[in-house]
Amino acid sequence: MSGKSIRAHSAEPSASAIRFEQVTKRFGDTVAVSGLDIEIEPGEFFSLLGPSGCGKTTTLRMVAGFEQPSEGRIFLEGEPVERVPPYHRNVNTVFQSYALFEHLDVQDNVAFGLKRRKVPTDEIRTRVAEALELVELRGRERSKPRELSGGQKQRVALARALVNRPAVLLLDEPLGALDLKLRKQMQVELKGIQREVGITFLYVTHDQEEALAMSDRIAVMEDGEMRQCGTPEEVYERPGGPFVAGFIGISNLLPATVENGGIRLASGTRFAAPVPEECSDGSAVHVSVRPEKIWLDELEDGMVALEGTIVERVYVGTTTQVIVELAAGLRLVALEQNTARQRSDDRWQIGERVRLGWQPEHALVLR
Amino acid sequence: MSSPPKDFDRPRFLPAFTALFFVFLFAPIALVALFSFNSTRSLQNFQGFSLQWYERFFDNESLRESLIASIEIAFVTMVVSTVLGTMLAFGLVRARTRWAGSANVLMLIPLVTPEIVAAVSALILFTQIGWRLSLETIMIAHITFSISYVTVVVRARLAAVNPEVEQAALDLGATRWGTLRLVTIPELWPAILAAGLLVFALSFDDFVISFFTTGESPQPLPVRIYSAIRFGVTPTINAIGTLMLAVSAVLIGLAIALPRLLGRRESGLGVLVGREAA
Repeated sequence: MSGKSIRAHSAEPSASAIRFEQVTKRFGDTVAVSGLDIEIEPGEFFSLLGPSGCGKTTTLRMVAGFEQPSEGRIFLEGEPVERVPPYHRNVNTVFQSYALFEHLDVQDNVAFGLKRRKVPTDEIRTRVAEALELVELRGRERSKPRELSGGQKQRVALARALVNRPAVLLLDEPLGALDLKLRKQMQVELKGIQREVGITFLYVTHDQEEALAMSDRIAVMEDGEMRQCGTPEEVYERPGGPFVAGFIGISNLLPATVENGGIRLASGTRFAAPVPEECSDGSAVHVSVRPEKIWLDELEDGMVALEGTIVERVYVGTTTQVIVELAAGLRLVALEQNTARQRSDDRWQIGERVRLGWQPEHALVLR
Repeated sequence: MSSPPKDFDRPRFLPAFTALFFVFLFAPIALVALFSFNSTRSLQNFQGFSLQWYERFFDNESLRESLIASIEIAFVTMVVSTVLGTMLAFGLVRARTRWAGSANVLMLIPLVTPEIVAAVSALILFTQIGWRLSLETIMIAHITFSISYVTVVVRARLAAVNPEVEQAALDLGATRWGTLRLVTIPELWPAILAAGLLVFALSFDDFVISFFTTGESPQPLPVRIYSAIRFGVTPTINAIGTLMLAVSAVLIGLAIALPRLLGRRESGLGVLVGREAA
């Protein structure tokens, strides 16, 4: 694979690739995006993550130029873009539907952008060949899009955008239409291509695993607002609120109140947890414990220890999810590894009482 | 039961029924075609093969002029109504105004107006404004009803165009005009072609509107046949009918073959019968 000529060349190395300044977008009475402030560095793999309708695609479309912000400004490489039409913006998009030109073959699809920019024919030929090499589609130059598989169409869409060497590549759920196995494979390839060409990727997805696996940074969005922005480790290990904790990973959210610097569950159970300073006694909070941090049966000293009933057991191959009910309506999921030494699906019987616990620092208290 | 019944929900009489239907549909046409090659005047007995009725048709100057007039009318109608109808389709699909709903319904009215009403109104209009009836008046009347057909066919196709494909063109540096020329029209053209050929056929064999809006001479072929038939049916009429049938068959062939020849999966005919990919 060779991506030397596709490599990004930023006009102004000091400027951020994209900057959102208080960007708000309204459609009639509905607010799609509200007060967005993000700064994306050149070469970064940045994901917008959230459920459908959270405003992530609208945000992407504003960068592409298909929508105009109602308020606020967007800067591309330091320059404001509100007056720049889509066809003059130095960004390219990979659409969810691929949006290939069905009447053109692979070669002409990929060459489309270069032809519009009046690039010399010889250069078009070499650059198209390189782009197809990069996405491993050499030999399919003369195929029509309808003759390609979903994964191949995806690669053509990617090559068609990358060949123009945009400052930013916008990807709108590009892997959404692929089956699981191909999706996992393309995640790895996409990340590799991004590293190779060094172009800034702005990636929209609702798949939290995908965002965690690929991104340098993730902005988690809900109802048009950004809830948290950080590295995958930050948003997973230190979610900024109940929504982020619930959206990324298995939720395990328990409603609770702060009492004497500790936590009291609705069932009356009390335990120690790192309560943030701004939470005073009596304030309502949520406690979140990641499933892989919960121990069953054998506990260590200093752990928070609770007791519950096993209500469900879900075998998912490498692990088994054991669902434990602490009290009516209070359930926790614990993840047990199915290692060579133990198979937890034999070990945990539905209806049995079980002790469970975690290290106090692994409980997240969220307002 | 020795063997399980195959094709449970496909009754066996269906092929026979379908065959009967096609006999009913094509027998009269086949007869006309057959007797156009008859060597005698008889319309009952086929006596032998000859091309004399075709010769008579081509020797008859007024019939020949009528054929040329009909082709002229159909061609102008096709070109003008295809352009106008396609533009109307764009307006109806793309314009986001509160009038869009009403416009979409209003544009269907020419399709459901009884042809006689359209014909009489056209005649009254032309006499009121003092436009002498001629080939031009027929063309205008034909274009008026044809636009709706073009719009219906092209609009369906345009509504099915993935908006992301056009956005992709803009995104890749094509201007709005460039996007229309390089992406939208190529996406639409099997539908535009199909609509054009449909309109050509409709105009070519239209009788009612042509009858009311035609001038003295030359008259379009269907009107000319009608006047001729009042003095008795001759096998020449059979020859003309067969020729018109051949023209229609060529049109259908074009609608199927042209997109194929240019590397498109769907045929223009497929667009008309509601089949996306033939």
